[in-house]
Amino acid sequence: MADSISSVCNLAILDKLSDGSIEEILESYNGFCAATDTLLNGAGDLSVGPQFLSHVHGLCKHGLESLLRDHFLGALERTFEKNGALKFWRHFEAYDDVSVEEEVFYNALEEISLEKQYQEKCLLILVHALQSYNHGSHDSNDYRVELFAKYQMSVSSVLMATLPRHFPEILHWYFKGRLEELSTIMGGDFPHDDDEDDDDDDDDKDDMDLDDKCKVSYRSGQMEIDECYPQGRFLDNNKLVNNIGKVVRDLRSLGFTSMTEDAYASAIFLFLKAKVHDLAGDDYRISVLESIKGWIQAVPLQFLHALLAYLGDSVSYDSVSSGLKSPLASCPSTFYPGIDTPSEGLVRWQLRLEYFAYETLQDLRITKLFEIIVDYPDSSPAIEDLKQCLEYTGQHSKLVESFISALRYRLLTAGASTNDILHQYVSTIKALRTIDPAGVFLEAVGEPIRDYLRGRKDTIKCIVTMLTDGTGGNPNVSGNTGDSLLEELNRDEENQENAGLDDDFHTDDKQAWINASRWEPDPVEADPLKGSRNRRKVDILGMIVGIIGSKDQLVNEYRVMLAEKLLNKSDYDIDTEIRTLELLKIHFGESSMQKCEIMLNDLIDSKRTNGNIKATITQTSQAGSELGDNGVSMDVFDATIISSNFWPQIQDESLNVPGPVDQLLSDYAKRFNEIKTPRKLLWKKSLGTVKLELQFEDRAVQFVVAPVHAAIIMQFQDQTSWTSKNLAAAIGVPTDILNRRINFWISKGILAESLGADSEDHVFTLMEGMVDSGKNGGTNGSIEDLIVADEEGESSVASVEDQLRKEMTVYEKFILGMLTNFGSMALDRIHNTLKMFCIADPPYDKTLQQLQSFLTGLVSEEKLELRDGMYFLKK
Amino acid sequence: MKVNILQWHAVASWTWDAQDETCGICRMAFDGCCPACKLPGDDCPLIWGACNHAFHLHCILKWVNSQTSQAHCPMCRREWQFKG
Repeated sequence: MADSISSVCNLAILDKLSDGSIEEILESYNGFCAATDTLLNGAGDLSVGPQFLSHVHGLCKHGLESLLRDHFLGALERTFEKNGALKFWRHFEAYDDVSVEEEVFYNALEEISLEKQYQEKCLLILVHALQSYNHGSHDSNDYRVELFAKYQMSVSSVLMATLPRHFPEILHWYFKGRLEELSTIMGGDFPHDDDEDDDDDDDDKDDMDLDDKCKVSYRSGQMEIDECYPQGRFLDNNKLVNNIGKVVRDLRSLGFTSMTEDAYASAIFLFLKAKVHDLAGDDYRISVLESIKGWIQAVPLQFLHALLAYLGDSVSYDSVSSGLKSPLASCPSTFYPGIDTPSEGLVRWQLRLEYFAYETLQDLRITKLFEIIVDYPDSSPAIEDLKQCLEYTGQHSKLVESFISALRYRLLTAGASTNDILHQYVSTIKALRTIDPAGVFLEAVGEPIRDYLRGRKDTIKCIVTMLTDGTGGNPNVSGNTGDSLLEELNRDEENQENAGLDDDFHTDDKQAWINASRWEPDPVEADPLKGSRNRRKVDILGMIVGIIGSKDQLVNEYRVMLAEKLLNKSDYDIDTEIRTLELLKIHFGESSMQKCEIMLNDLIDSKRTNGNIKATITQTSQAGSELGDNGVSMDVFDATIISSNFWPQIQDESLNVPGPVDQLLSDYAKRFNEIKTPRKLLWKKSLGTVKLELQFEDRAVQFVVAPVHAAIIMQFQDQTSWTSKNLAAAIGVPTDILNRRINFWISKGILAESLGADSEDHVFTLMEGMVDSGKNGGTNGSIEDLIVADEEGESSVASVEDQLRKEMTVYEKFILGMLTNFGSMALDRIHNTLKMFCIADPPYDKTLQQLQSFLTGLVSEEKLELRDGMYFLKK
Repeated sequence: MKVNILQWHAVASWTWDAQDETCGICRMAFDGCCPACKLPGDDCPLIWGACNHAFHLHCILKWVNSQTSQAHCPMCRREWQFKG
């Protein structure tokens, strides 16, 4: 091989060679080869040095310098492959998986490093030999560097070529193990358990321009070695970190630079990820961001800091001691080294680690956002964390997408009650308002909820209940929600006051300037179609009203609900209602709440009038006291007097109240007429509340009931058994209603029902002896009874649907007439015709849907027929 | 068994005892109030003329005051006099 090389390279020299010199060359060359072999395989025996030197000189004389260099390098490579690499890999062969023992790892590295050091020594001998021949004609240093670079290259290529597949894993495992060790040592106040998740998918983010960063830090890192450690842990850590540093340095010298960095970076990131998952967990009531940051400072950054510092030492050949001077000197109190004099590389690492932590936490929180929002007020620390993460990472769109899909999957389903959806909606608004005050993302997230809620019938009702039931009066609604919405009303009031200031034309320039300088552009994700930030001001009530579309519907529903509540009041205490109304007025405007205000005013007036009438009536009439045993005194009688024009339609059923009461009513009305001439009273006898006591022989039970219940039970005073027909006639209600209402007493065990002679006619009997007093609330169950009575007493105010039906009946004649003339008509045509002709009082202002539901009602009453989308008169 | 009524809270609506439903001037219900008022009832009473026609007090006052000479009842054109 040597000959062939020389024949190729040195043809010109070859010609000039004499036999003598050929002889000499061959001799020198053989000698050189032998010396090389001895040197390389000589296990530290450098005694062949002088001999080697003379051969080198001999060959150089003939200009064969490059030949011997190549040969020597080749020999080095072969020897390294045999002695170094093969042995090195053999250490790991036994371990198919990655769990190589630390000891083995160290030994292997030690061995191969020794081998390499020895070879470098040999190479140095060659270099010296060549230099001594050339007498410095080369730039000696360059020459040395060049040779060493070549050697280094061959070492790494040999290793790379024989690299077992699992070696990177082994490295990864090694660093992970060390990191955990370090974490246990450092983690006095950051306890952690090693529940590593073994997903290897995440270690890919770390191999971007690692080398640059590390190199930067070599230079600067050495300035501050070890200053970070608190005194107690110093030695321990130092040893550990030194070990790691040595390993890294050895690996680096073997040419595994990038692989090593990959390994420890991925180990750090995986470790960090596990830590974040561990710290964050499923508890949303505490903020974890700070502790994660603290942990980053305490463990991985310490690790990197020390590592970089150590490597920095070893790269620069200068004095090491300079770094050790400062562990006490520089700020012994602070635990975080990076803050004092962070090296650039360390700062970059810190930024990367923090970004990664933010991202991990953010992903974690985003996937759990639904749960977080479910327990919103408690989970606000988690929301706050998420906000900070998002500010850092800017991945809001991820949040929106993931949350919307969670909503669709978990909330917007038929199984969820409207109340729950609304509750979640409100929480969402509040939570997202924290994250994103401009409301851009909220808009995107809220859209599906709003769309869905619009399709639900009871949405308005639920909203109004939430708005008004601040005190949690209705057990069906979670008081919390109501509270929060009422709070919103309150908050809104304050805002309005502030807004009033802002709108003031006389705001001075200074204020204007402050406002202007506070302006921030919308986030890039903002939809330009949706208007500017001003209009998008996050306003929970506004967003809730937005679900319904118009405030009129909401106000109407509120009015119905308010009427119901007011009519069932037996005292005149309306303080909470007044407060709610005032708040609503601020939000919806005074004019739309006008009717509700009149309703409340009626109550106030009633109280006054009631007092007035009762005070004067006892002077003039003795009706109450004359009635003896069965009597009802005027003292226990109160009335609510309403301005019926302003109240929702009231379902007034006919009812014959018991005689004494009827007497009271007419006295009362007469007195009213006297006081308020020419106004008179029209009693709505079925409305109101009655508190009564049933006195049995052995006990007395109190109830709060509707007048119809009172009328029923009072009939049983004189006659303990009634047939339903007779009873219905006596109290003046239709039999079916009686049968429905009397169930109240049956369920209380006061009355018993049995079939009479006529199958249509039931017989009700008073259970005087009270077989089972404990069955449904005895003497002491009056509170429960109160509620039951409330629930059972059917709504005295017509629901919105019923009102609609009443309003539509006006048009029934029109519709029937039209159909008589035209034979059959489609829904559209009926709608349009009505619109065209019914412009007088009352004008036709119903929607197509309303008309359709009315027509459906007529069909079910068998007045109309519907065939193929056309309506006919039923023949 | 004996029923003792401890409290009876009844509900009634009031109405003006007039023959007509709406005020002839503002065309609003008597039981409502005139356009200038917010609260019905005592705050916006009715008034009868000698001719027995009733109007919102505020409506007829406005009418009477707007006439240059002696005012007439808007309904029957008789001379307007408040019923005593």
